[in-house]
Amino acid sequence: MRVVTAQELRDLWLGGRGLVLTFAFSLLLSVVAYLVATNRGLNFLEHRETVNLLLQVAIAVGALLSLLAAADTVSGERERGTLESLLLTPVSRLGLTTGKLLGALSLWVVAFLVAIPYVWFLGRGVGLVGDALLTGAVVGTLLAVFLASFGVLISIFARSNRVSLSLSLLLLLALFVPTQLPSSAQQGWAGDLLLRANPITAGEHYVGTIVTNGHAWTTNASWLISPLLCAAVFTVAALALGARYVRLGGGSTG
Amino acid sequence: MSAAVEAHGVEKRYGSLVAVDDLSFEAQPGEILGVLGPNGAGKTTAIRVLTTILEPTRGSFAVAGVPHTNPAEIRRRIGVLPESAGYPEHQTGEEYLRYHARLYGRNRADARSVAATLLEELGLGERGGSLISTYSRGMRQRLGIARALVNEPQVVFLDEPTLGLDPAGQRQMLATVRRIAGERGATVLLSTHLLVEVEETCSRVMILNRGRVAAEGTVAEVSRLAAAPRSGRLRVPPDDAETALQALAGVGAVTGASVDGRPGTLVVQLAEGDSLNEALRAVVEAGIPVLAAELEGARLSDAFLAMTEAA
Repeated sequence: MRVVTAQELRDLWLGGRGLVLTFAFSLLLSVVAYLVATNRGLNFLEHRETVNLLLQVAIAVGALLSLLAAADTVSGERERGTLESLLLTPVSRLGLTTGKLLGALSLWVVAFLVAIPYVWFLGRGVGLVGDALLTGAVVGTLLAVFLASFGVLISIFARSNRVSLSLSLLLLLALFVPTQLPSSAQQGWAGDLLLRANPITAGEHYVGTIVTNGHAWTTNASWLISPLLCAAVFTVAALALGARYVRLGGGSTG
Repeated sequence: MSAAVEAHGVEKRYGSLVAVDDLSFEAQPGEILGVLGPNGAGKTTAIRVLTTILEPTRGSFAVAGVPHTNPAEIRRRIGVLPESAGYPEHQTGEEYLRYHARLYGRNRADARSVAATLLEELGLGERGGSLISTYSRGMRQRLGIARALVNEPQVVFLDEPTLGLDPAGQRQMLATVRRIAGERGATVLLSTHLLVEVEETCSRVMILNRGRVAAEGTVAEVSRLAAAPRSGRLRVPPDDAETALQALAGVGAVTGASVDGRPGTLVVQLAEGDSLNEALRAVVEAGIPVLAAELEGARLSDAFLAMTEAA
């Protein structure tokens, strides 16, 4: 598994794909940071809210990068014709899946490291940087693990890389839909349940309560249940199904 | 001596489609077994089953003495060049081989050393540091064979290794195959369409048709098995052609004889299972010198066509 992970990291980072995505990510954060720091309209945001906004963008896009990399893992190898030679080695399917999942997660780790100076720049002077970074690291890691595992799962069964990437993006969009609902629809027990059950909205809500509202870590900890559960369940599912179903024909019984 | 590969009643189904049906054969250590068959005969599926990529629906097999119930151990002992194998374009040949050597548990130094040795052996020494994207089709095939050898396998499966190569590349590839069996002592299962080369390279052949073994044995045995309908050509002095025809008319093994378009060339139709010997004897006993004799319908290509078209 270590050899597979190391190769995945080499392919991702020395191959240039990881660097390009990270560069695009840092450009996006730069634009967001510039706008919240200089734009007159956005400048009226509370200091805490600007940090929260930037952190939420970093978490969402960072986790998205991991999802994109994960969605290419098995279906990409299959499409490029390189999967068969991997399956012919004595490395177990579980080892292959784990190595590829870890490789995809490296994108989130780097994205978070890139986000640190931005959070520091916007949050300095109000004693917010430490809490913001810690919350971002915890919630972002849970969401990245969840999304990357989901991407790997789709990639295992998808017949083509295009299908895998499309389904992954569709899932992400579906998860972001509740954030676009009018605030009235987010009220009441049904709205609350929807926000809590969706790991993205629950995670981002939790970040908001700590960064914007200054709540203690434990006050709204119940909002972490969904991200935690999804990360655990989907990781176990990706590894268990990967160990059994990583094969030449995606979705076929072959 | 136990067989390097033995299969007993192996079957692979995809729903109602039977890709491999009741496959049973043995390959001995150090031999080159040619696996022949038309497109869709089940060659690639059979190889994928034997290399543990696909699970058999029924039957059992053992490779290098390891039963199919232990696929990881089989994979340790085999090398495979899959049909239409893909290669990571952004890696160099040397990196590619090192990675695969590491996947077989070799340490960094070992992996580096085996990669360098194999690149030299396969004639890629000078291009080992180049990106695979710059390799020609022939170089990629050789790289694929090098990858199949990183674990010093006891059995090597080569699925259409000459596909897409020019005649020189095909000759070079078959020389490599002979070297793998000769110098490394590995058993080679070679799936190919090149019948003439199989005759030159393989110690035995197995013809697959519609998932079943249509024939198996040495090249001579398989050629004989499917030799009907057979005929022969005799060349005699043109002036003696008519006399020769009269002599052949009384031979029981000859069902018909005629003069070919070329003067002095006789086409002799033989009864099933008979050789040209009796016809030759009759002509010689008639005092006619035989300038040349050729038995037709006894080549591997004839056997291949007879078995795959008849079924």
